[in-house]
Amino acid sequence: MANLNIDSVKDHTFDAIVIGSGMSGGWAAKELTDKGLKTLILERGRDVKHNKDYPTTNMYPWEFEHRGELPMAVQEANPIVNRCYAFGEDAAHFFVKDNEHPYVQEKPFDWIRGYQVGGKSLLWARQTQRWSEFDFEGPARDGFAVDWPIRYKDIAPWYSYVEKFAGIAGNRDGIAELPDGEFLPAFPLNVVETYFSGHVKSKYSNRHVISARCAHLSKPNQIHLDQGRVQCQERILCQRGCPFGGYFSANASTIPWALKSGHATLRPFSVVESVIYDEKLGKATGVRVIDTNTKEAIEYYAKIIFVNAAAINTNLVLLNSTSHRFPNGLGNDSGVLGKYVAFHNYSAHINAEYDGFKEWTTDGRNPAGGGYIPRFRNVYKQETNFLRGYASGFSAYRYQQRPWDGVGSSLKDNLVKDNLSGWKVGSHMMGETIPKESNFVTLDKTLKDQWGIPQLKISVDYDDNDEKMKKDYIEQLTEMFTTAGFTNIKASSDHRAPGLDIHEMGGARMGNDPKTSVLNKWNQMHAVKNVFVTDGACMTSTSCQNPSLTYMAFTARAADYAVGEMKKGNI
Amino acid sequence: MHRRTVIKNLALIIGGAALLPACMQGNGKASIALKNVDISADQENLVGDISETIIPKTNTPGAKELSLHLFVLKMVDDCYKKEDQQAFITGMGQFTDAVKKKYDKSFAGLTTKQREEMLLSIEADKDPKNGVNPKELKTFYGIVKGQTVNGYTNSKYFMTKQVVYELIPGRYNARFPYKQKQSA
Repeated sequence: MANLNIDSVKDHTFDAIVIGSGMSGGWAAKELTDKGLKTLILERGRDVKHNKDYPTTNMYPWEFEHRGELPMAVQEANPIVNRCYAFGEDAAHFFVKDNEHPYVQEKPFDWIRGYQVGGKSLLWARQTQRWSEFDFEGPARDGFAVDWPIRYKDIAPWYSYVEKFAGIAGNRDGIAELPDGEFLPAFPLNVVETYFSGHVKSKYSNRHVISARCAHLSKPNQIHLDQGRVQCQERILCQRGCPFGGYFSANASTIPWALKSGHATLRPFSVVESVIYDEKLGKATGVRVIDTNTKEAIEYYAKIIFVNAAAINTNLVLLNSTSHRFPNGLGNDSGVLGKYVAFHNYSAHINAEYDGFKEWTTDGRNPAGGGYIPRFRNVYKQETNFLRGYASGFSAYRYQQRPWDGVGSSLKDNLVKDNLSGWKVGSHMMGETIPKESNFVTLDKTLKDQWGIPQLKISVDYDDNDEKMKKDYIEQLTEMFTTAGFTNIKASSDHRAPGLDIHEMGGARMGNDPKTSVLNKWNQMHAVKNVFVTDGACMTSTSCQNPSLTYMAFTARAADYAVGEMKKGNI
Repeated sequence: MHRRTVIKNLALIIGGAALLPACMQGNGKASIALKNVDISADQENLVGDISETIIPKTNTPGAKELSLHLFVLKMVDDCYKKEDQQAFITGMGQFTDAVKKKYDKSFAGLTTKQREEMLLSIEADKDPKNGVNPKELKTFYGIVKGQTVNGYTNSKYFMTKQVVYELIPGRYNARFPYKQKQSA
């Protein structure tokens, strides 16, 4: 600070700083600016403006040089991100390439990242389910991690709050383990999905196949139109960025909303090196940023700091924020910072066929992707030889078969013939993993990145519980498929590394006890009261729901609390 | 030099090449810029003739009219591993030899029926262990076939005139009656 004159300190001082502009950072920016706080939004990557910076969004398949496929040179240079399903010719520009931000894999970990304004909210799969009481009570009941410092009733109103703004399509299914929300009309199940739903209901009292709930504007309300978003047009080209704002992204929703308030300053190309801690004041006073273009180190100051850098990078920022008071990372009195990292197990699939309903098909495309089977294992009591459980995707579809055999005019005829397949059905596993001290991230002692920041070392792996759970998923889904009369059932298990689920969580977990957790029940650091962490890093356990909706709710709740505490003079 | 000027000049050169007598084209390069594989004008013509046999001009456009053979070369150049690119080149030579051996002519000299017969004989050669043709030849043909059809079904012509692609469906009907359409 010594080299800055008073004016420049003033220019660099805000009420709040939000580190990250993605799923949760966008929400922090929106909430804090709504409450009138002068807010600096820091983003390490470039700006991506809604519509203007979606270069492929209106391209037809034939307009892609390689018809969607990435050149081999790009694939071979990027073995990690190339494993992500959405890394194709139409969206590769929104993904971090392997050499752009290296990290050390003590164990294989596919770290999929999006460094731009909006982060991965541009690229997410848009599935949104609430957690229930059964999820928040999980660690305490089953004796792992630490007890969540909140319960469903604490977060329920905040789910409602963010759902109304984001726009979530779904049915009120009345299932205790997957609470209903503030829904726009659901995307309906097709005939085979409906048949399977009925079959499962008749055979199992506690299993349900419902329309997948997703962040799409099936029927926008005024609040969505006010954001400049309109009805989803069922393109399913979401990863390119949506010109309609048909799905929720920070780019289409929270970031422009925050900027419109006049209280926000967005600074792209700003990698946060660390959070600055003032020993005398006993609180954080700002952040140190490296400008990625000039490599210049710059300091910004604020009364409160929201860390929303995305789970793993939030751990990196906090671990790298060392001081005399916190030699092992900001707020890390407990020593658990960087530890108890967990993820979702997506490594099992099952496919089959159904020889019926040939007189029905679908028309258009389903943004929800089909059906969703909420967790049915170990919900009310422990009943298996593994802890927790899994949710499952379920979808049924038909497709035009285009046989490629032969040459000449007969081949040309075959390629346009109506040759619709019978119904195919498929499911994938989404398993909860148990956070453990031995699954952790830490800073490498010697390797640095191009901004002079230590590289992260990631050491995360599956365990025996995951294997048992996967076996059960395959057994149970096989049974459900068999009794439904599905044929040619094929279960498969891949050996993907953790990370490819893109649901990495934990490292700065919430808890009641400062000795065993980093954050309290308000996502506030136990030891540094003006620092809040509301992205995936805060997660005490993972349950098996897609996590983004919960990050949104945590963020809005924490922002409300933080501003209240500021007004009371407590922080 | 500006990129556009380069392309314009290139177009002039290619245009000029078309006016040369056929015998002069033997040492010519392919008509599109390729970075990783070395393809001559003759080889390009061969790929063109094979693609045209796969997707011929009928009362609708064929491979050459839709430049599918150039798409095949573009994909070989950009989207295949080095070993596949090498197999493509080797296999192309083997293909030429096999045609010569069977018909004592070049592929260009065959009738449409003979061309189809030649390609179908490779497609029929499915056994990986006791195959008649060398494996590079099969790799070469597999790439030309696959990318010709890929280029065709993803062409603007096909996606606007044959099986229409909708960029913006604007609907999802989960329960839609289906009755198989009889082909024309």
